[in-house]
Amino acid sequence: MSDLMTKSPAASGSANAGPGAGAPPPRRRRVDPTARGVWPFALPAVLVTAVLVLVPVAYTIWLSVSDRQSDGTNSGFLGFANYAEMFGNPQFWNSLKVTLFLFVVCLLVETVLGLALGYVMSLDVPGRRIFQGMMLVPAITASVAVGLVWLLIMDPSLGAANQILAKVGIDPVVWLGDPDIAPWSIALVDIWQWTPFMALIISAGIRSLPEEPFEAAALDGASGWRTAWNVGLPLLRPVLTVAMLLRTVDLVRFFDTIYIMTQGGPVNSTNTLNVYGYNAGFVDHEPSYAAALQVALLVLVIMIAGGFTWFRQRASR
Amino acid sequence: MTKRLGGVYAAYLVFAVIFFGPVLFMLWSSLRNNVDITGSLFNIASPLTLENFTNLFERFEFGRYIANSFIVAGGSTILGLVLGAPAAYVIVRRKLAALGFVTLLARMAPGVLFVLPLFVLSIRIGGPDSVALNYALLIVAHLIITLPLCIWLLVPFFEEIPISIEESTLIDGANAWQRFRRIALPLALPGLSVALTLSFIFSWNYFLFALALANERTLPLTVIAFNFIGQGSNDFGGLMAASTLISAPALLLTIFAQRWLVRGITGGAVK
Repeated sequence: MSDLMTKSPAASGSANAGPGAGAPPPRRRRVDPTARGVWPFALPAVLVTAVLVLVPVAYTIWLSVSDRQSDGTNSGFLGFANYAEMFGNPQFWNSLKVTLFLFVVCLLVETVLGLALGYVMSLDVPGRRIFQGMMLVPAITASVAVGLVWLLIMDPSLGAANQILAKVGIDPVVWLGDPDIAPWSIALVDIWQWTPFMALIISAGIRSLPEEPFEAAALDGASGWRTAWNVGLPLLRPVLTVAMLLRTVDLVRFFDTIYIMTQGGPVNSTNTLNVYGYNAGFVDHEPSYAAALQVALLVLVIMIAGGFTWFRQRASR
Repeated sequence: MTKRLGGVYAAYLVFAVIFFGPVLFMLWSSLRNNVDITGSLFNIASPLTLENFTNLFERFEFGRYIANSFIVAGGSTILGLVLGAPAAYVIVRRKLAALGFVTLLARMAPGVLFVLPLFVLSIRIGGPDSVALNYALLIVAHLIITLPLCIWLLVPFFEEIPISIEESTLIDGANAWQRFRRIALPLALPGLSVALTLSFIFSWNYFLFALALANERTLPLTVIAFNFIGQGSNDFGGLMAASTLISAPALLLTIFAQRWLVRGITGGAVK
């Protein structure tokens, strides 16, 4: 993870080269005189972050190994019974499967489509900014609004999607009512909402690429596709990885649009770990079990994000 | 060359229909009556009306829900900036990538992880019964979104300030706080506006905390719109009008501050 973080603050590329840049800069020992005495300014933010993040995480871990009832009583330490219940519950494995399914499908399609859209967005033609503005909208529209619009579009009898399908002679699809189709429909909405976000990052990446390698490839007579694959994509890899990592973290804890559109149904077919965990706590009123699910989810997020970073660091060696 | 331009615009059209079409559909549907919405999609000539919007304000306390959204998003944004700006300054001046990493952890953790403890806390201090306490809880909860975002967005802006400007003030004997307050902060003003707008939008859009923590008098727009579906509402016009109101800040921002927005979204990922 640290790799991603050093990338973001150092975005405008200052003296702060961060790790990954190899040997530490030689002037490291000299303390920048403007840095003296600034320490206390960070204190409020550090304290607030610690209280806001560490306390809830610690408390959730405590909940997960104790036995809190919905009436608020807690009979104390319970060991790993909640985790044992979780691993023995087919619902948990189903939720894990749903989470991973959505993660893989959405990330794959969003990356491929994002590369295509990102390339189109990067081209310098009149009207680029207006087009870019339109593409921005899905990502910054509230998930509630996105969910509501897609509920109307995917309505089985009067929805726009089935009306369009009828025009081209395709039978109506039960978008959200069929357990075999609902996960794909949810994936479709996420792909709609977040592909432009990927594309935006990718297009900014493409526009900041150096021109020389492409000119060299053109001189060698390489075709457009070959150049894109052999020159463009490798140069774009750092940007692409950051974009994929950001999406990964969000996809593993997929909640909003699902909760708005299906609440995990039908027959748990869209019940991701996060939705399952929320329902366990706030619908079924089993706070300790819900806490165990949340800890499992946090571990999963860290594992996938960590694995991603490790893989990336290894690949860039 | 013109052939290439034609190809680009053909691609523009396809992508615009796919990714902007549903947004236009929402805006359009919010202006149609329910009979037309549930009728044919291809009846483009159906009359337009503002009834869906006026109904929202007449039948429900929509003014209050909008105000609630403003209070929570505004409060958490201001707090996020007040705490985040000095922290971002320290991260830049002391080159602390690690502190930035801690704030990223907050971005990675699933929201439900925070909701359970906050809910327990809320019950213990009487949050469900007190409007003021409930606002305070929601603002603090949303700080989990806004504080890391503000820091993340502000760091590149402080990095752009040449150290030489601040070094020149060392001679005048200005202390660290004066340097931050009089030199760095004014120079980072564009960054503050970026962080302010983006953090407001993200907080405004956020749904989960209010879903679990808000009481009847503090419900924001997002949760009330969600509750409409729960009540089995077939008032699609009303739902689309509510969606349009929820999306309004983001839509306005895209029109008026696109450059900032692009920078805010891609800032961390692209040099």
